Amino acid sequence: MAARAIAGSGRDTMTGGTSGHFPMRNATHDAGGRLRRFEEAVLPHLDAAYDLARWLTRSDRDAEDVLQTACLRALQFFDGFRGASPRAWLLTIVRNSFYTWLQRNRAAELATPFDEELHSDPPADRDLGDPEAALLRHADRHLLRQALEALPVVYREAIVLRELEGMSYKEIAEIAGVPIGTVMSRLARARRRLQSFLLTYGSKGIKP
Amino acid sequence: MTCETERQRLTAYLDGELELTGALELERHLDECPACAAALAAQRALSDAIGDADLRYHPTPLQRERLRRALRRGAVELAAESGNAGSGLLGRRLRSLAALLAVAVGAWSLGRFGPGSPSRPEPGGVGDEVVASHVRSLLGGHPEDVISTDRHTVKPWFEGKLDYAPEVVDLAADGFPLAGGRLDYVDGRPVAALVYRSDRHVINLFTWPESDRAAPRLAASAHRGFHVVRWTAGGMTYWAVSDLAAGKLEGFARRLAVRLGTG
Repeated sequence: MAARAIAGSGRDTMTGGTSGHFPMRNATHDAGGRLRRFEEAVLPHLDAAYDLARWLTRSDRDAEDVLQTACLRALQFFDGFRGASPRAWLLTIVRNSFYTWLQRNRAAELATPFDEELHSDPPADRDLGDPEAALLRHADRHLLRQALEALPVVYREAIVLRELEGMSYKEIAEIAGVPIGTVMSRLARARRRLQSFLLTYGSKGIKP
Repeated sequence: MTCETERQRLTAYLDGELELTGALELERHLDECPACAAALAAQRALSDAIGDADLRYHPTPLQRERLRRALRRGAVELAAESGNAGSGLLGRRLRSLAALLAVAVGAWSLGRFGPGSPSRPEPGGVGDEVVASHVRSLLGGHPEDVISTDRHTVKPWFEGKLDYAPEVVDLAADGFPLAGGRLDYVDGRPVAALVYRSDRHVINLFTWPESDRAAPRLAASAHRGFHVVRWTAGGMTYWAVSDLAAGKLEGFARRLAVRLGTG
């Protein structure tokens, strides 16, 4: 609940704190100290966090909102953080913040839950030879971006964490809250979809 | 062992995530199965292409700055919350420090200046915003992102960060040496914040283009222990905030206005 208030609007939490006592010295001292420790541990991973938020939301502005919410939550729970990887920890919070944001702002995307087994994969493995490999290898940067953006969100997060952020399957499993086997199958499906997209639009010059 | 099960494992193999036994099995299969070998080659080509394309997004300097500010604000809120929870032995500390938090806490919620203040500077609470920004700027220890007493260093620093060029004047001779500058976010837009010092006090001077609002010359107000002086001149609006004595801050503003050729 406190996290909501912090993440949402500062006005709510601040009202009423002015009267009576002035926890001043302690407060500013704590604020400065906590912030410094937090910044040292977490801010080096800000780029990774933004990258994930940006790919998930597909918008600069929304990514900033999600990232800001996530960082404030992280700041709040920082004292309780004992894990080995602040990076995976921060990315987990970014991901959770994103899904909360998605529920509030783009509920339609969540309305029909994505079923990995029901969504059929494109038959991209057929007819793979040297020309196809070469086409994939030299795929245009813009087209690659479009291909990633077109992925369903669970595939997108897996591929971004793996290919762009270089996370291990174990870390991705922790961040996404799924078994390692699921990470593997999501990545396999994601890559199949990417290949299909790139081979379709890359070879024919069709605009997606 | 069928090709279909192997396909599932190609991805893990490509990522170096297959355990040794599984990797050796798969390699034996790849030697015998051109289709799976081609599938692996295609996956590798895709992976290499993504790697070369450098598809990572990075936050802009302004986004970083806004985040830093939000964090500072969040840190104060958290400290205030925990402080209130354990109240009792608090409150015997320096008055100026009390004022500091009071502003951080109050600036966002009050939306107007308290009774006895000469005026409420802005309908939208820009006065609140600049005071809150001033407080936040002090929390991190150094309010400047570019630290320099040389206005020829500070002014160019803003180039490319703002869509206007703030005038930078050094008032060292008047007892207000320039300390640096930073980007801030006030009134819904990125603004230049110039940092001056007077003895141990910090003055934040916020400035951005704004000519249409009729502002009285050097309007002064007090706000929870901080003093605010603002004026508009030459198409720019200026807000000076400090815990300096009111008269001294007005003196600063007056000298500045003169040096800017607008007083």
